[in-house]
Amino acid sequence: MTAQDSTVQMKQSQWGQRLKAVYPLLGLIFIVSAFAVLTKGQILTPRSIRLILSQVYPLLIASAGVFLVMTIGSLDFSQGSLLGLASIVVSALSFYSVPLAILGGILTGLAVGLLNGFFHVRFRIPSFIVTICTMYLFRGFCAYLTTNAPVSAIPTITAFNQDWIKLCFAGGVLAVVFLVFHFSKLGVFLKSLGAGETATRFSGVRTDWVKILVFAAAGAITGIAAFINVIKVGSITSTAGNQFETQILIALVLGGMPISGGAKSRFFAVPIGTLISLILNNGLVMIGLDTAMQQLVKGLIFLAVVALTIDRKALQTIK
Amino acid sequence: MTTANTALKPVLQAVGVDKSFGITHAVNRVSLDLYRGEIRGLIGENGSGKSTFCSLLTGIHKLDGGHFLIDGDMLAVRNQIEANNRGVSIIVQETGTLPGLTVAENIFLGNEKQFTRFGVKNTRAMNRRAQKLLDDYGFSHIRAAQAIESYNFENRKLVEIVKATYFKPLVLIVDETTTALSQSGRDELYKIMQETRADNRTVIFISHDLPEVLSHTDNISVLRDGELIDTVKSAGTTEDDLKRLMVGRVLDDRYYRKDYGERQAGSLALSVRGLCVPGQFDDLDLDLYKGEILGIGGLSECGMHEVGKAIFGASYHRTGSVTLADGSSINTVTEAIRKGIAYASKDREMESLVVNTTIKDNIILPTLSQTAAVKPLNHKALKRFAVKYANQLSVKMTGVEQYVNQLSGGNKQKVVLARWLGKDSDIYILDSPTRGIDVKVKADIYALMSDLRSQGKSILMISEEMQELMGMCDRILIMKEGRINAEFARSRDLREEDIIQKML
Amino acid sequence: MNNQKQTRGLAGIFGRYYGLVILLLLAGAFYAFFKVLSPDNFGSLDNLYFYFQSSIIYSVGACGFYFIVVMGLFDFSIGANVILSAIVGVVLSREYGYLGFLAGCILCGALLGFINGFLYIKLRIPSMIVSVGLMLIYESLAYYAAGGTKQILDPALRVFGSAPGNILLALSAFLLMHFLITYTRIGTYINAIGSNEYVAKNMGINVDTQKLLGFVLCHLFVGIMAVLSVSYGTSMTAATGMGSMVRNFTPLMGTFFGLTFRRYGIAVPAIVIGEFIIAIIFNGFVALGAPTTIQNIVTGAALLSIVALTARPMKGAVVK
Repeated sequence: MTAQDSTVQMKQSQWGQRLKAVYPLLGLIFIVSAFAVLTKGQILTPRSIRLILSQVYPLLIASAGVFLVMTIGSLDFSQGSLLGLASIVVSALSFYSVPLAILGGILTGLAVGLLNGFFHVRFRIPSFIVTICTMYLFRGFCAYLTTNAPVSAIPTITAFNQDWIKLCFAGGVLAVVFLVFHFSKLGVFLKSLGAGETATRFSGVRTDWVKILVFAAAGAITGIAAFINVIKVGSITSTAGNQFETQILIALVLGGMPISGGAKSRFFAVPIGTLISLILNNGLVMIGLDTAMQQLVKGLIFLAVVALTIDRKALQTIK
Repeated sequence: MTTANTALKPVLQAVGVDKSFGITHAVNRVSLDLYRGEIRGLIGENGSGKSTFCSLLTGIHKLDGGHFLIDGDMLAVRNQIEANNRGVSIIVQETGTLPGLTVAENIFLGNEKQFTRFGVKNTRAMNRRAQKLLDDYGFSHIRAAQAIESYNFENRKLVEIVKATYFKPLVLIVDETTTALSQSGRDELYKIMQETRADNRTVIFISHDLPEVLSHTDNISVLRDGELIDTVKSAGTTEDDLKRLMVGRVLDDRYYRKDYGERQAGSLALSVRGLCVPGQFDDLDLDLYKGEILGIGGLSECGMHEVGKAIFGASYHRTGSVTLADGSSINTVTEAIRKGIAYASKDREMESLVVNTTIKDNIILPTLSQTAAVKPLNHKALKRFAVKYANQLSVKMTGVEQYVNQLSGGNKQKVVLARWLGKDSDIYILDSPTRGIDVKVKADIYALMSDLRSQGKSILMISEEMQELMGMCDRILIMKEGRINAEFARSRDLREEDIIQKML
Repeated sequence: MNNQKQTRGLAGIFGRYYGLVILLLLAGAFYAFFKVLSPDNFGSLDNLYFYFQSSIIYSVGACGFYFIVVMGLFDFSIGANVILSAIVGVVLSREYGYLGFLAGCILCGALLGFINGFLYIKLRIPSMIVSVGLMLIYESLAYYAAGGTKQILDPALRVFGSAPGNILLALSAFLLMHFLITYTRIGTYINAIGSNEYVAKNMGINVDTQKLLGFVLCHLFVGIMAVLSVSYGTSMTAATGMGSMVRNFTPLMGTFFGLTFRRYGIAVPAIVIGEFIIAIIFNGFVALGAPTTIQNIVTGAALLSIVALTARPMKGAVVK
């Protein structure tokens, strides 16, 4: 192979890479078109768009946080219980003052995140095991705190349930995560960590602290999502946030997020994945499929997307 | 056929066996004959090809060219079990047994069929057979049904010996196993070797311990740079004879430094006292001066590779001190980088480079790790930074956004150096900097090293290639079994034979 | 030979007994703890018998889980499998009685295991991720198999829901497990693959086939667990929305006990005793007046502690 040939090959694969980055967007367009046809345009009506958008905020916000965790190649299964617990804290504190409630939610999330990060780093336990354990732990707390009755927030809190407020919060979180990911050195570190932890450590990055920080951040961000959750539902039951973490995982995967994180992690997986996920959910309902069939379709699509987007070269031994 | 004829026919023949790993021509058309009832020593310095030759024989790597014949039949195996079935067996240097299994399971791993009927494995019979074997070998203190984890390294090696020899292989390879054993362990091994020979079968014995090789073999084959140099009778050969065969090269100095004169070394840059990493090296002292290239050489496992890592602050359980000229001590990687120390690891792809990301990210990473936390990134400036240093080293790439895993070995190493140049490091610890790199890039790297030296930077070069140590270093330290054994100064009269004396 | 035995230290001499003694001491310790704190509601022989019977259901599942966790794999779809297999079993039991019930549960379980393993090998996706997708699919299939209603097991067919039926079936499962680990090649190979996949492959072991077999065996035991579950609970409802996840984790704890005590050669007893200990802890807290919601907290904390104490990866190893 001459030098010219190899350069041509290299340039071609770079275009291939650029094309791969666009797949999620194409996926979004495809799924909107598909459901537009299948629901005979119903999904594009203002009513259904508003319905979809009303569901988007907690998922969007929490996914931004988990995005950071997945970039380093870890997973966070405690997000659902975290949402529940933080929502309970928000509701309880809402009787004192709303800003305090918001702060309380964030601090709860932060605390749980720190716990996750600590056990993961200090004891070298894989993140999925740590977060499954904390999921259990805090799900138990939620159940305990709501044993006798759901925890209600101050009734006036639903006054905050306005689109512009929710949009501000969501937009704010997304903006901050985007800026940090693209314009701070932390973003570079996260991608490097995901792609090669040892080499990143040998480059002077304090990988242990970065990991703890990422889990804490994901927790705190979900604390914000908890506030959004509370202003929408007003009171929290023991099942609050159930399976939220799997919804997040599916959303990010559909948005093109590689399972192992690394350099190919793109921020746009967050909004695009969330939208695809919600359109898929609502579209399937609109077509008239029952819950079980919807889930079946979602499971199949999930497997298909993962199989297509996984970066097999990056995963050295697949377990 | 008369006995005389069968005695002359070789049991194992290597015919033009050839293997390359990228640029490195590990085994270069080696042809070798082994006879029954022989213990053949196989020696050579680092990179001479002995381990690769054996891994080709046992199916761990695939041949690029040539073939093996065993008793006249073609030998082409794909894994160790197939090799065993054809009568070729190996006892490796590191741990060859699997934790999580019992002793008996380890001995018969892959060979359980003999105990299995209709899918049911007769474990009791397997354990009994294993115990009988252990008893026959004189290892009765090892119980066949016990988990192998309950035994120490030496006992596990004994199990491995049983595993590799119980089926009376035609050719038994002992690959540098003796170094890790106590004297009693070695005696066991010698006994097995002698029994194998008495049984009219063959042993290939690889070791760096020349006296040991001379006293326990019939003939010795010497490899150098992947080629078979000669085969000599052990009786009547001296250590010096062997060493001469092992090195005897003419120094090819086209790529190295031309100067042999005044030492330009300046003041002290870095000082190491009592450095120790358990299991690797002990009580190490060295001084590194500005404007000098200090080399460390020795056999692969003499501990020198860990020294580089330890000075950089990346070793676990390190004791001792590493101090800079300004008195500050280096204990962690972050401190090392902040104080201007650079480290290029021998394990390039795992420790020096993040291969699954862009050239740009790799080059900026060490510098970035030291900048203030909240400064926003200016991507254009970063890109220019990366391009500048990539070009300074003439990295062949399509652009800094290219992924490192697409580059050739030499260019990958250039990226490693580019990142440290970008960090404006003062002390460079380079471990095996030109391993597996083609000649042209090697020359570039040597030129860079000379350049850095004349700028007053310090370089610590750890290398298994004696040639480059002799060609590039102002001083060479030779390590042996975890300690510094000798120091040589740069000189035109320095010969490989002198150095290898201190390595072995 | 006798002298040599004495010089090998406590663990060497007693080997498997040493491990068993530790487990029994642990069980005793927890029992004593709760008994002292609430002597009246907890720990009578009847209670213990009751705890034991509920724990062996999970122990059977733990045995199955063991096959894959040993190799470093994971599977989130076990809970969904229990539900699906149980429903299939109940549906078949209406036509074919016990034969349909047992065949339905166990064969369905094994079949799902085969699908899991097959997709894992062909798609080359991490087992964790592929099992999340399959969990979603199996839950939906369970819903359709159940036809949207709660599937009740005919009272005449509930012999495995109480003593001695359940104990006998569980015991058979444990014996089967012990047999597989000790007297078949898969028993050796899963340990080999879990230790060092590269070396295992080099010794001629077909790693892909063994992993597939591991999944099938795992879910075979899950099928048996389904028999016990639905017999004990008398009915099975299909869950959607990933409600089956809850069923994954209690068995997992038994598996961890099994793994920790594997070096003493007592994996199966460790699983059984381990699950029994967990049952003691759960019921102990309930006897103390804690709400049943305490179960989750205990599960989470216990699992986390066990893993923190037993995980011993090398310094510098990359853990994601």
